[in-house]
Amino acid sequence: MTEPTAAASSGGSMTVGRMITLIIALIAFTIPWLINFPGLSPEGHRVLSVFLLAVVLWLTEAIPLHATAVLIIFLLILFISDRALIPLPEEYAPDAVSFGQYFATLADPILMLFLGGFVLANCASKYHLDKNLARVVLRPFGTSPIWIIFGLMLVTAVFSMFMSNTATAATMMAVVLPIIRTLPPGDRLAAGLALSIPFAANLGGIGTPIGTPPNAIAVSAMFEAGYDVGFFDWMMMMLPFVIVVMVAAWLMIGWFFRSDTKEIKLQIDSKFNLEPAAIIFYVTFAVTVLLWMTEALHGMASTMVGFLPVVVLISTGVFTTKDMQSIQWHVLWLMAGGIALGAGVRHSGLDQWMIGLVDWEQVGTLLLVALLSIISIILSTFISNTATANLIVPLGLTLAASSGVAISPVEAGVFIAVSCSLAMALPVSTPPNAIAYSTGVFSTRNMMIMGAMIGVVGWVIFIQFAPLVWDALGLMPEVTPQ
Amino acid sequence: MNQVLVLCIEDEQEVRDAILRDLEPFAEHFQVEAAETADAAREVLQEALARKDKLGLVLCDHLLPGQSGVDFLVELKKDERTAVARKVLITGQASLEDTVKAVNEAGLDSYIAKPWKREELQEIVVKQLTEFVLGNVEELLPYVSVLDGPRLLEEVGRRKADK
Repeated sequence: MTEPTAAASSGGSMTVGRMITLIIALIAFTIPWLINFPGLSPEGHRVLSVFLLAVVLWLTEAIPLHATAVLIIFLLILFISDRALIPLPEEYAPDAVSFGQYFATLADPILMLFLGGFVLANCASKYHLDKNLARVVLRPFGTSPIWIIFGLMLVTAVFSMFMSNTATAATMMAVVLPIIRTLPPGDRLAAGLALSIPFAANLGGIGTPIGTPPNAIAVSAMFEAGYDVGFFDWMMMMLPFVIVVMVAAWLMIGWFFRSDTKEIKLQIDSKFNLEPAAIIFYVTFAVTVLLWMTEALHGMASTMVGFLPVVVLISTGVFTTKDMQSIQWHVLWLMAGGIALGAGVRHSGLDQWMIGLVDWEQVGTLLLVALLSIISIILSTFISNTATANLIVPLGLTLAASSGVAISPVEAGVFIAVSCSLAMALPVSTPPNAIAYSTGVFSTRNMMIMGAMIGVVGWVIFIQFAPLVWDALGLMPEVTPQ
Repeated sequence: MNQVLVLCIEDEQEVRDAILRDLEPFAEHFQVEAAETADAAREVLQEALARKDKLGLVLCDHLLPGQSGVDFLVELKKDERTAVARKVLITGQASLEDTVKAVNEAGLDSYIAKPWKREELQEIVVKQLTEFVLGNVEELLPYVSVLDGPRLLEEVGRRKADK
């Protein structure tokens, strides 16, 4: 492939495939207006049509993912808000949600948490903190290949807990590529080095609520359901298992791609930027992370803390107006679309109705958990992780809250979010995978085998084993009355 | 599908073949075309632009039958569709005056003196195409394996966040 094929980058051009997809989307949207589903409220019918449209558009990416997101918000306002163009029947109208609340999803608290993460990440890249830290942290790992892979994975995972997985993977691949070029041609170690980065980025993203958007979507939905999972709570639950799976992934990569090369020379010249603006940034970064970790002590919610670097770095001019334009707003808006859709689904009772279609008491807990996680893994192997979370989280949480189901909404949210991150078997599965694959250092087969193995190990650890530990240690958050 | 065109203009067949041989590693990712004269090059270019391809790099000899290489480069610089293309002169016979004109009026990016070494030419092509791709192409990943990978990846890191 020499040029992008994604519809998103080809501007306004209209291919036949895209046209057909849009027609299918339109048909999907129309169905609930024509067919009356017994037991579903009029509002539910309308949300169902938006939901079906979202499924088709997010699955096919006929229009950019964030375009679908804003379309969802707009349609919800047009059809089910208090200012709906076609008003809801009289008896439902008083309950209609104010249209402003759907717009407000664009500034949902969880998005402020992410915005803080973006501002920190953009500054880190601006002052080359990421690259310099990577080199400093790699230094103690010596020259032995297996320990260098360990060091690379550790640095990548820690960065991707606080920065975007994609940006981390790209930066780290830029550090690794010159190392790979020093290896003799055909050395299997090259593939091991290149694969360690995306897998560590995907796994590291599981570690914090801002590690990757699906986590935030899950946390936001849990909050709506009455469970307040803080930054530190999430890390306490997830981090130990992230470490376990990372070590397993490291051993597998190290063993699978072992070679005769016994020594790797690292280029480790790091020069930290010490101008005042950079120092303001370092301090702000440290304080923000510290406040995130210590929510229990000061009571400031992580979403509030997330706004701190935004305010401080903009006020001090460290983060300039030009930098602001480089914020990935489309990611925030994609999440907003998911949050709006979730709110619409909940308010209209569509979730209850869809879940009521199956008698879940007949389905065993194990099967149910497997179902939730495996659907998420399969979907997110092929489509965007965020879009997957946007579609599955609202249903999964309601399912967990219904009677006769033995998993809690927190578990359901965590399972879905983690499953999205565990899908890493194909180059298209996640942006970090695509970045690593672009170097041409390893084959798709290499990635499939390692990615699938890590996915399976991760699934066993996170989905089957972790809940036992959380229950035993009482780490599961209780419902907080709102 | 929009491609990036690499255009090589050289009237002597042996030399042209040598350049094309050195450009082989890029043929999978770029549309590599060769022409004998400026007129022939213009024709190739018009076809490419009609397909919505972009001109990425011109490797041009100076002494050609008809329009000179430097004059052709100046013409490319004036056309807004080709102004951003990277321009390289491969020649042994350009006078100082011609060279100054190429730098000042065509925005010459690099100069390769004949005879050249394979590695030297490829290094210049990688550098120039990397510059072009960074400034003019949205999707950088397809070029990581053939151009300056670390530079492209750093830019990807700056541009991208999770989808």
